[in-house]
Amino acid sequence: MTSGVQQDITLQGVTKSFGAPGRQIEAVAPTDLVLQGGSMTALVGPSGCGKSTLLRLISGLEVPTRGQIRIGTETPDQLRRRAGLAVAFQDAALLPWRTVTGNVALGRSLAHRPRDRAAVAELIRLVGLSGFERHRPAELSGGMRQRAAIARALAGLPELLLLDEPFGAVDELTRDRLNTELPPLWEARGATAVLVTHSVTEAVRLSDRIIVLTPRPARVAADIAVTLARTRTAEVLASDAFRAICAQVSQALRLHQASEGIPAQ
Amino acid sequence: MTPRKRAATSRLGAICTAISRLPRGTGTLIFLMIWEVLARISASSFVIAAPSQILDYSLTHAGLLWRAFITTLWAAARGFFWGNLAGILLALVATLLPRSERLVSTLALLVFCLPLVATGPILRVLFGPGDGPQVTLAALAVYYTTFLPVLVGLRAAPQGWFDLIRSYGRGRLIILRDVRLPAALPYAVAGFQIAAPAAFLGAMVGEFTGAERGLGVLTVRALRALDLPATWSIALLAAGVSICTFSAVGALGRRLDLAPPEVLLAAPVGNPSSRWTGAAQAFLALTVTLSVWHVAMQAYDLPRFFAKRPWDVWRFLTSDPAARAQLFAALSETLSLALPGYLAGLALGAALAMLLTLMPRLSATAIPFAIALRSIPIIASAPLIVWALGRGATGTITVVAVMIFFPTLVACRQGLARTPRAVLDIFAVYASSPIRRLFGAQLPAMLPAFFASARMAIPAAILAVTTAEWLATGRGIGALMATVASTSDYNMLWSAIALIGFAAVMSHALVSMLERWVLSRTNPEQLAR
Repeated sequence: MTSGVQQDITLQGVTKSFGAPGRQIEAVAPTDLVLQGGSMTALVGPSGCGKSTLLRLISGLEVPTRGQIRIGTETPDQLRRRAGLAVAFQDAALLPWRTVTGNVALGRSLAHRPRDRAAVAELIRLVGLSGFERHRPAELSGGMRQRAAIARALAGLPELLLLDEPFGAVDELTRDRLNTELPPLWEARGATAVLVTHSVTEAVRLSDRIIVLTPRPARVAADIAVTLARTRTAEVLASDAFRAICAQVSQALRLHQASEGIPAQ
Repeated sequence: MTPRKRAATSRLGAICTAISRLPRGTGTLIFLMIWEVLARISASSFVIAAPSQILDYSLTHAGLLWRAFITTLWAAARGFFWGNLAGILLALVATLLPRSERLVSTLALLVFCLPLVATGPILRVLFGPGDGPQVTLAALAVYYTTFLPVLVGLRAAPQGWFDLIRSYGRGRLIILRDVRLPAALPYAVAGFQIAAPAAFLGAMVGEFTGAERGLGVLTVRALRALDLPATWSIALLAAGVSICTFSAVGALGRRLDLAPPEVLLAAPVGNPSSRWTGAAQAFLALTVTLSVWHVAMQAYDLPRFFAKRPWDVWRFLTSDPAARAQLFAALSETLSLALPGYLAGLALGAALAMLLTLMPRLSATAIPFAIALRSIPIIASAPLIVWALGRGATGTITVVAVMIFFPTLVACRQGLARTPRAVLDIFAVYASSPIRRLFGAQLPAMLPAFFASARMAIPAAILAVTTAEWLATGRGIGALMATVASTSDYNMLWSAIALIGFAAVMSHALVSMLERWVLSRTNPEQLAR
């Protein structure tokens, strides 16, 4: 459903610092990465390690202090300006005065796509919100809000989908259901996707590759390929190979936990 | 709470419940009978008109009242429209050009503080006959109370909503259309709700200054003739209009299914980064005010005889010691009455709000009353209060206090209701007394709302004190302005306006400083923005 070739995401010497000159805090240390087009990459790290900042840099919502990011040949800003990407935010960021349909339709109109009621209704059905089309966000559960937010992100037919802890605010059982039901939707579209999460199982379950980040500033600590069948069936999730990769990620995380709490130099 | 107090409280509550359980209409009937008796007893003191007299006057003069009412309503409606439009546009400017916010806010406050008593006659000279002054004063009475909440509403959206729009590469206009404007709508409706009665009040004041028709004209006539039934009939009519429009806008808001806004009035903008930025801002505001004043007069080529320029006021104040002394004496007399009234209104409003949280059953009865009384126009109530309490200090102070009391009560109630659930639970876990809970948890939550209403109360106090002096007591700067307006002493009039505007802005700055000082200790999260 995406147009043209799936573009690689290239990060060259990307850093990000916050704060006034002289008292800067480095959130992202110099980072070089190539994320393959059409794949799902997970950024994993402890809370507040700078992984969300890295995602915001890729989305063009933040500008790197140094270095450059390219999606194919475009800058994130260029991609953003032609509505080629979509972000699913941690807090869903649904507009409370719009219904579910209104919020999903907003994803289409913001991305300059023509009005299409049928497409919006189909997306709402796909994310499992049939019957709630006319409900406002305040009348939905946390899980349902995230479903609506994913539907909105997909409504603009993005080439690049950025997921910022999209299931971080829901309970474990809901998260498990969402992890089963929603990923096929974007996998079917073949969009390039980047997922930020602090759940090891979620990362292994959803992605083709896992980047483990060190805390403050974010620096690549481990780069782990998820060598599992793309369709993560119940058998795959119960397999030894799945558990082995989870253990590998957990170990990489633990190895770098020592530095937590010590301010960056 | 001692057992005896507790028993007294529950007895009071029981009385309230008993009253509320009587068949509909019985309470009203008893109320009317007591009123009638009181009026008959006190007939010699010329304060209370009996319901029968009011009914008699209203019926015999129904045609007159109706025509006057329609005239005033039409002027109020147009003022309501233009004033709210101006308030919304100012808020949009302050939001879209964040650097201009402080200047826009200061100028908006300054114009709002100009006393209707003085702007009325000047507008009358400017417009000549017709209803120009009524419409303008109605607009002036409403734009500020719409400007403030809309400004808060336009900025209240969480960062995530802006990020959402930006992640699609869309800019400020789309953010305005899809996020800021819809987010500000409930705030605007809350502003309109306060504006509706205020517009009617403004139109009536406009009619005091030489209009041909309208409820304001009838009021002046009734006051001059000490016609008690007429005064009360008009006061009740104005109060009825106010309550109806207030409720109608509220009902409209509910119909639109808008969530009521959380905080109505803006917390002050964070501390200026240094002492000098604050001073520079103040200097800029002063310069802009004086330039706008001067340039507007020049641009419309208004005759110097009545359209005084800043320079004329300065020369008058520095060259005529007798006039200066008279002016300052009047101003200090006015302020000496406004200040106690202001403080009493704030203290009583906050105290009753706190008391009502200790007695929840009482509040169910008291709050609808307070909301209804809040919208009774000051020009209807001020003469009656002064007649009842005398022309001395007590009457004027009471008028000011009453004007401030009800909005403060309502705002503080809202503040108290915003105490975080989790904090209340902690006090409940330790079975703390209601008093302990009030001072430990609820009072700090109330402070932002209290200070917001303390800032809003400054223009209200000025309006109340000058109106009372003008209509009833004949003393102070309110009466001085009315006198010099009728004798065409425009130097004195403009000087009085300038001094009152200056005093209002200074008081506002003082309250804001106090607010920052207190909130930075009790509610630092309110200031971090």
